[in-house]
Amino acid sequence: MKAKGAGTVLGAVVCLLSLFLPLASPAQTSAAGLSGTVKNASGGAVAGAQVSARETPSGKTTRTLSGPDGRYNLPDLEPGAYEVSVTADGFAAAAAKATVTGKPQPALDFVMNSPAPPVSQPGQAGQSTSANLPNAPTSAPPSPSLGDLGFSSQQTQANPQLQALLDKRTHMLKVHQRLGLITAIPMAATLITGGGAKALGRPGQPIREPTTANLDFHVALGGVTTALYAATAYYAIFAPRAPDTKKRGAIRVHEALTFIHGPGMILTPVLGIMAYKQETAGEKVHGIAAAHGPVADVTALAYGASIIAVSWPIHLKFWKGQ
Amino acid sequence: MTRRLLLAALFAALPAFAQSDTQWVLQQSTLSYHMSHPMHEVDGVSHAAKGKGVCHAGQCSFLIAAPVKSFDSGDSNRDLHMLQATRGAQFPMVLVRTSFPEAASASPTIYVDLEIQFAGQTAHYPHVPFQRTTQGNDVHISGTIPATCSDFKIDRPSFLTVPIKNEIPVRVDMTWQKN
Repeated sequence: MKAKGAGTVLGAVVCLLSLFLPLASPAQTSAAGLSGTVKNASGGAVAGAQVSARETPSGKTTRTLSGPDGRYNLPDLEPGAYEVSVTADGFAAAAAKATVTGKPQPALDFVMNSPAPPVSQPGQAGQSTSANLPNAPTSAPPSPSLGDLGFSSQQTQANPQLQALLDKRTHMLKVHQRLGLITAIPMAATLITGGGAKALGRPGQPIREPTTANLDFHVALGGVTTALYAATAYYAIFAPRAPDTKKRGAIRVHEALTFIHGPGMILTPVLGIMAYKQETAGEKVHGIAAAHGPVADVTALAYGASIIAVSWPIHLKFWKGQ
Repeated sequence: MTRRLLLAALFAALPAFAQSDTQWVLQQSTLSYHMSHPMHEVDGVSHAAKGKGVCHAGQCSFLIAAPVKSFDSGDSNRDLHMLQATRGAQFPMVLVRTSFPEAASASPTIYVDLEIQFAGQTAHYPHVPFQRTTQGNDVHISGTIPATCSDFKIDRPSFLTVPIKNEIPVRVDMTWQKN
């Protein structure tokens, strides 16, 4: 009877795990995009120019800035028709139409011209004082551009691949966080029901067996906890790592604690199965299986501390609201 | 006679040549954003901003820029989430532009209109007050930009399913020097 209960629990665990596995398949992304250079009329690179690609049917706009060498890159655009516009300080806006296909696109280069001079009088559209007097001084100071500030191209160049990696990382860690919090519920319930699943009695005295319902309920909760923990761990382990990032702060404590609750979450069910077998054989739990309870307690404590660590420092201000 | 006239014309023209542009360079800066959550108060600080200002014919134009990833909150995990939420890899720089009359820069409180490019969006903040103090050749400017997540269409990050506050004020402390 108890063996059948354990089989049911195992089946439930496998079903639960299979529910999470489809979430792990990575999203497909388009490799199509637009790239080119932004230059001034004399062929010099224009750094910091804003390049916007607007998909004409949907209006969805993607933007980037040109680097110090004038290069820009807008990868991962959905195939379709785009209106590409370029704006930069001290230049008239430029625009072009482009069609993005699934194949590599030819470079879409822009040459930025000086801005049209301002209109001097209302009603004289297209004419201005400075148009008539090309060398007339203007009152507006020449605006500094990003290229004047001395940032390296590595600092100013858009990196869509890194953005995609960060998006995937955040998505996976959000799932990790939610699953982690959900896991804490059956974990706490398993600890609470642990007392009722234990055979009681001193050596030499008759052993009082736990009821089948109590034992099965505890085993079922333990199985659910293990499955949820495995899914939680999956989303942390396989979340992409950001390159060139040295870990600092509370995340280090959070990760260090996994060296306690990680092995604990493997050991606890193994010891639990041993204890279960001893219980079902009518024995009081003995030997290494007797460590099931203490190992579970340490694991749960480390798990709770891990949740608190990643939230640290905590300033409770719920009463202030949003 | 002709030579004298030419010399006189040359001397008369000298003051016009002497009216050169004034350039300002950002010497050091501390930019810090403040993020508020019912369980957290977080400040992300950057000292990596660079800036330049040009004053010409009584009008000044300034540009200040900082890499988004240079903001450090003391927790690398949180900084990476900030970088993701603000699309900081796609738009790696925060650009702040402002123009104001040169005469206004002499008063202890300067009110400026700011144009900020961040997270692929451009937001305008009119009439933002900045305190100005002078120490030798250094001009110290400090103030707070009342930025919000929604200004830049940033999806507010959440913790324990509760999003952070929309307001992310940016404290600015800068030291400028005439070049």
